[in-house]
Amino acid sequence: MKNRTPLAQSYLDRFETAVVSLPGHESRSVQALRKQGLDTFAALDFPHKRVEEWRYTNLSALTKATANEDLPSSDLDAIQTAILDAPFEMVFVDGRFSNEESRLTGLPEGITVASVAAGLGNGAVFSLSSEEDRALFALNTAFMEDGFSLHVDDHVQSEAILKITFRNESGDQNGRHIRNIISLGIGSELTLVEEHTGTGSYFSNPVTSISLSEGATLNHYKLQNESHNAFHLSLTDCENAKSSVYQNFTFSLGGKISRNEIKTTILGENSESHLNGAYLMRGIQHCDTTTLTEHKVSQNISSQVYKGVLDDDAHGVFQGKIHIFPDAQQVVGDQLSKALLLSDRAGVDCKPELEIHADDVKCSHGATSGELDDDALFYLQSRGIPEDRARKLLIEAFLADVLESISNSTVKDYFNAIAAGWLAEA
Amino acid sequence: MLEIKDLRATVGGKEILKGINLTIKPGEVHAVMGPNGAGKSTLSYVLSGRDGYEVTGGSVIYKGKDLLDMSPDVRACEGVFLAFQYPVEIPGVASATFLKTAFNAQRKFRGEEELDAMQFLKLVREKTKELGIKDDMLKRAVNVGFSGGEKKRNEVLQMALFEPDLMLLDETDSGLDIDALKVAAEGVNKLRSPERSALVITHYQRLLDYIVPDFVHVLADGKIVKSGDKSLALELEEKGYAEISAA
Repeated sequence: MKNRTPLAQSYLDRFETAVVSLPGHESRSVQALRKQGLDTFAALDFPHKRVEEWRYTNLSALTKATANEDLPSSDLDAIQTAILDAPFEMVFVDGRFSNEESRLTGLPEGITVASVAAGLGNGAVFSLSSEEDRALFALNTAFMEDGFSLHVDDHVQSEAILKITFRNESGDQNGRHIRNIISLGIGSELTLVEEHTGTGSYFSNPVTSISLSEGATLNHYKLQNESHNAFHLSLTDCENAKSSVYQNFTFSLGGKISRNEIKTTILGENSESHLNGAYLMRGIQHCDTTTLTEHKVSQNISSQVYKGVLDDDAHGVFQGKIHIFPDAQQVVGDQLSKALLLSDRAGVDCKPELEIHADDVKCSHGATSGELDDDALFYLQSRGIPEDRARKLLIEAFLADVLESISNSTVKDYFNAIAAGWLAEA
Repeated sequence: MLEIKDLRATVGGKEILKGINLTIKPGEVHAVMGPNGAGKSTLSYVLSGRDGYEVTGGSVIYKGKDLLDMSPDVRACEGVFLAFQYPVEIPGVASATFLKTAFNAQRKFRGEEELDAMQFLKLVREKTKELGIKDDMLKRAVNVGFSGGEKKRNEVLQMALFEPDLMLLDETDSGLDIDALKVAAEGVNKLRSPERSALVITHYQRLLDYIVPDFVHVLADGKIVKSGDKSLALELEEKGYAEISAA
């Protein structure tokens, strides 16, 4: 028998009892899907550092624990200094949909949002699939408890922000396995803000599957402001049909160990996929951004721009891969990762990767890390600006262009306010 | 205003200033001239408090206070202004934001009320108009993509805004054509008053045609080797540094 991590073994041991209280336990098809996920997970275990995609992120602090109380703790806490003004909000507390806290009345016609738990309870498997080689995806399938299922009808375009909040207030043995499904109809458009917050120690493992029909546009913003004692390992998959646009901006401030993994697959011509983000980390936080953009057809554009500020002993990881399939010509792919290190002990690992099998493409990538510019700092001080304020001005300046790339002005202001709140604590 | 006594300083362990003595009274303009490597820029950085310039001896008293004891921002708030030889480019920080932040930091230090965005904009527009600076410069990031002339003009604009008591001009003429030089000099001359002093550091005499000094000092190998009135500058131009320093 294989030598499993304690946490993986504990998941396998508790599956039979846990599954009874998970949604869809009376449905055979849901049960079969869960079992399939469990088997896959059993064969894989949690990713470890010898797995190439996980070289820079060590999960042993999580996987050696079998109970929440055993998770290591930090004395820093998540700070949130601003509130987003969104007309519609769907709230999940401790992994379950809260009807009381949600505000969904008046949602424009043609936009349907529902709790995944309710769907699973009715035996609906949606378009859920299990995953062959991603352990966390498989674990999510086995233990998924809730999430949102969102559909926008053809040609429905909404400017109103739909906010989905995941608030974690108490630890749970099983962790939080959120499963979200988003599908946008032909020519539709939506702005979505996903927010993850919490207190205490817990393991959050959300999986989101997105499918964009021809001509659809999704502006997808995510704020990861989990507790500093939390593990947040998220997977987002997006499939782009012809002429669709996916814009993702992920802003990460929370979590002890966090990973934001996005895979986009471009299946139709004239599509765009823009994955941008910023991360602000301090203490012993670790933040991993891993992206994979697959261009399967010609004439597409993709970009990835991530900027990180790392203080104290914080650590950042950026792994970005652009994969251009044979005959996917006239593709433009640009990638940039920049990290600002505010302490000698902070660090970042970068692995940009281009895999190109077509000859008529334009791709670029760059990764830099550095400290605050001493010359600029002195210049500001020599004009009467105190050192502390001067440092903050320069950090804001470092983040300015990536935050400026946010197309929704309400979200832009919101994220800027949160960044300012973080800086005020520095 | 400023009293420098036997000032010694090292950079990276190497002694650059080897005992400077210089007294500047209110209203006076002093020029320090010298060949490359004499310690001219080091003097300006030591006076403005840059990291890495270590004072190993002597004293600098500014308006009765120990200047060397102040952080760079406090020196600025106390009225010391260094016009940089190479003004620093700061991507991501808009000039308007920078100017307002600095201006208000200085006012706050003096216990004065800070100006709001509208009040400040009005003030800064008056100054840019006087100096012939286009308003769009305020929207651009600090010194980013500025020509040499624009950068120096930006320094003069800041001087006009902050109205310092002691102006340190570090090679303000370097990289300027004659027209830009005149504009820069005019900006400085406008600020000349019986209460305000200046230390003009330069390699060439030509700046001193426009900013006429009361005293000229020759700096060589970390020491002031000769002092005189403005005619000394002309003498230097004629004979060169080697002869004067050796004399």
